[in-house]
Amino acid sequence: MSSPALRLYDVKKSYRNGAEPVHALRGVSLEIAPGEMVALTGPSGSGKSTVLNVCGLLDAPDSGQREMGGEPLDARPEAELTRLRREKIGFVFQGFNLVPVMTASDNIEYPLLLLGTPAAERRRRVDDALERVGLAGLGGRLPDQLSGGQRQRVAIARALVKSPALVIADEPTGNLDSATAAQIVELLHQLTHERGAAAVVATHDDRMTRYCDRVVRLADGLLA
Amino acid sequence: MKWLVFALRNVLRNRRRSLTALLITAIGTAAVLVGGGFALFTYDSLREVSARDSGHVVVGARDFFTGDEDVPMQNGLGGAAALQAELAALPGVRAVLPRIEFSGLISNGDKSAVFVGRGVVAQTDFRVRGVQTGFVAGEPFDAGASLPEIAIGKDLARIMKANVGSGLTLLSTTTEGNLNAVDVVVRGIVSVGVPEIDRRLVIADIGAVQKLLLTDKVSTLSLYLSDMEQSDAVAGSLAATHPQIAVRTWLDLASFYQAVRALYNRIFGMLGGIILVIVLFAMVNTLGMAVAERTREIGTLRAIGTRPDEIVRNFVLEAAVIGGGGALAGMAIAGAVTIALLFAGIQMPPPPGRSTGYPLLVNFSAVLYAATGAAVIAASALAAWWVSAKAARRPITEALAHV
Ligand SMILES: Nc1ncnc2c1ncn2[C@@H]1O[C@H](COP(=O)(O)OP(=O)(O)OP(=O)(O)O)[C@@H](O)[C@H]1O
Ligand SMILES: [Mg+2]
Repeated sequence: MSSPALRLYDVKKSYRNGAEPVHALRGVSLEIAPGEMVALTGPSGSGKSTVLNVCGLLDAPDSGQREMGGEPLDARPEAELTRLRREKIGFVFQGFNLVPVMTASDNIEYPLLLLGTPAAERRRRVDDALERVGLAGLGGRLPDQLSGGQRQRVAIARALVKSPALVIADEPTGNLDSATAAQIVELLHQLTHERGAAAVVATHDDRMTRYCDRVVRLADGLLA
Repeated sequence: MKWLVFALRNVLRNRRRSLTALLITAIGTAAVLVGGGFALFTYDSLREVSARDSGHVVVGARDFFTGDEDVPMQNGLGGAAALQAELAALPGVRAVLPRIEFSGLISNGDKSAVFVGRGVVAQTDFRVRGVQTGFVAGEPFDAGASLPEIAIGKDLARIMKANVGSGLTLLSTTTEGNLNAVDVVVRGIVSVGVPEIDRRLVIADIGAVQKLLLTDKVSTLSLYLSDMEQSDAVAGSLAATHPQIAVRTWLDLASFYQAVRALYNRIFGMLGGIILVIVLFAMVNTLGMAVAERTREIGTLRAIGTRPDEIVRNFVLEAAVIGGGGALAGMAIAGAVTIALLFAGIQMPPPPGRSTGYPLLVNFSAVLYAATGAAVIAASALAAWWVSAKAARRPITEALAHV
């Protein structure tokens, strides 16, 4: 049996908001198999984003353990976590977070530049990714020349172009109208499955949960 | 290449802000280049004047440059004729000119004044030194005339009420300690542009001076080389082969040149330093705003695996684009000013202690341009590093939450 793409064990995290500490995560354990798509739901403030930040190696838990592909992650230096994010994790944000001075192609190419992929290979994969997200021919556009849905397609292409082991998406449809949201959900599902990437998606969107292999519910910093 | 393109696009993102920083850099660069070029022009002119006046390499008796004399010519150089012939035969030596430094009183019969004299080989000395000794009246004298002929400083001429053709008397102490006198005729009136010297200067034929001082020695032999840059080499080998004589280069003797150089180096060095600081602040301001505005972008790039040093590198590259653009623009401005001054013919007022001004010109120096450009770009890069290093290490979740 292969080790899980990601494993959290008894992860706790609190924020110090003034005098009162806010216990955002109060012991979360979660395993995500390679290629599995997990929806993370729960009311606002339940800790979804906090879980994703911990899963995406953007933030460290106060206690508990993390493993990626069977490798323990905690106590690794920041440089090592950066390398893991660069090589293994793709991100899709609610607000798209494209670099405004880069064209769609440049934005998608960026992770490959970081990885030192040769130019010819980069071009091939960027063109392929553009086509996969239905933006063939629009690679030369800047983000502000694209609609919200198109921008999120670029972001999905950027997240998946390096064939990551894990995709983290925090409310990827939060800024989109429902028709567009449906397409984005389907696209994300299809591409992660195709590439065998595990995905954790925080969402309120029922259409999203329908596409996921498993739905995990968070309430008050605990898995329901 | 890609990174440079991104940097350029980021620079163009806020055109007005980038342009302001670029203009400040350009003006600063131009100021350094024009100021520095003026200093270099001054150094070159003074070098020229100093070296022509003293000769590129000067030799004297062992104690001539360091010791005080009890009687005139005590530290004079004996057997000068043989040494002169030997030195003249050295490769790269264009001319060897014997000179005597002497002093005494000059009199017109009614009144007398102190003079500081120089005995030279008539004609040759004027020819080798060229325009250096400016004749305001009369002409270079000749050794063969029946009465010894002299040239005197223009202020001394005024004091002595002398004109070309006037007869004067030189009084000096001989090597034996007695007073001796010689009647002379004024053949030329000169000005070296320094009132202190023009009040006292007497130039006479060296043979006449030797007769006046009762000596066959000379004070120094001045070597004029075909290449001034060889001065140190020639002086070094002379000192090695002739331990019995003292050897100096023009630079050793050019105290005015050295003083001006030390002063200007300090003034223009300080100016350059201040300008660099201004460039630094302009860049800190411009890039600081860019970094603050792009906090979320930095967070995004960090999230997808960009290292902090890569974030910093991108800002450094942006700063280098602005700084480099400013430096290039500044070089263009400085180049234009340099050329314009060639045609403008602006005269500078006489420096302190001088009676003549000099043209305002600016040297072009590739080294100065390159060094200034490098310094400006380095200052810009430093500013970028300074403002982005902290932002690049800020917690990613915090940066992503920034609005
Ligand atoms: N940086 C922070 N500082 C202080 N408290 C925080 C911080 N981030 C989150 N919290 C708190 O932690 C708890 C969980 O927040 P989190 O953002 O994970 O919730 P969420 O489920 O993503 O909510 P939403 O659906 O609104 O995005 C909340 O009570 C929130 O106020
Ligand atoms: Mg959230």
